[in-house]
Amino acid sequence: MGKRVLVVDDSSTMRKIVSRALRQAGLDFDEILEAGDGQEALNLLEGENVDLILSDINMPNMDGIEFLRQKKDIDGIKNIPVIMITTEGGADIIGEAKSLGAAGNIKKPFTPDKIREVIGSVL
Amino acid sequence: MDLLKNITEATTEIFETMIMLDITVGDPLEENVSSFKCSVSGVIGLAGTCKGMLAVHAPDDVAKAITSSFLGMEVEEVNDDVTDAIGELSNMLAGNIKMVLDEAGKDVTLSIPSCIYGEEYSMDCVADAEWVVVPFTIDAGTFLVELQIKSA
Repeated sequence: MGKRVLVVDDSSTMRKIVSRALRQAGLDFDEILEAGDGQEALNLLEGENVDLILSDINMPNMDGIEFLRQKKDIDGIKNIPVIMITTEGGADIIGEAKSLGAAGNIKKPFTPDKIREVIGSVL
Repeated sequence: MDLLKNITEATTEIFETMIMLDITVGDPLEENVSSFKCSVSGVIGLAGTCKGMLAVHAPDDVAKAITSSFLGMEVEEVNDDVTDAIGELSNMLAGNIKMVLDEAGKDVTLSIPSCIYGEEYSMDCVADAEWVVVPFTIDAGTFLVELQIKSA
């Protein structure tokens, strides 16, 4: 089975743009799944296997930091790498995400080249 | 902090890297604008040691053109895609301003994007806030980026 990626963002626009950037970057994901916030992502991961998660931080209901906090204690999904895609490039929030297991960070706005570079360093 | 410079650079970067539309920067407005007709406004609230808001105000045709290029598909009416795209544009701009404020020692939290649209609406200013409004022009017309900020 080919690789699958989960894009977590409350903005449908941003989910579409990330999906398009993944294709433009030439990354060979067979399937791109989407979730609108951290809770929706956790629910989806109960029944779906993915190889990589790309997640926003600032989201309603469950933000990206809380998603990382809960995910790291759940067997079966805790080892899936997560790359944060965020408007906030501040050291504090990036440091907190890293301390909770985030494998990388992409700051918006981004280019397909940047996506390829960061994902390449993680997978 | 040169907020005008940051707004200009951040907006230009977003249009060059993600929206892929040519953009021209105009001179900052000398008077604030609070009433809008047939427009879409994406708004992000700022809270913490600075409070205020960042907003993108785009006439319907401009908002549709931005959304079409952002998503790579034709958009014929102001719909959820348009309000989400203008909200996300304001979100990215606010994220840039937050970084500048953080580096200046401020502690600022951003709200989730909100969007206002309609035939005619008004937005009140933050009382006693400093403000800057910068016009940007694309082929479809001109939109405004507005920042109002006040130390708490």
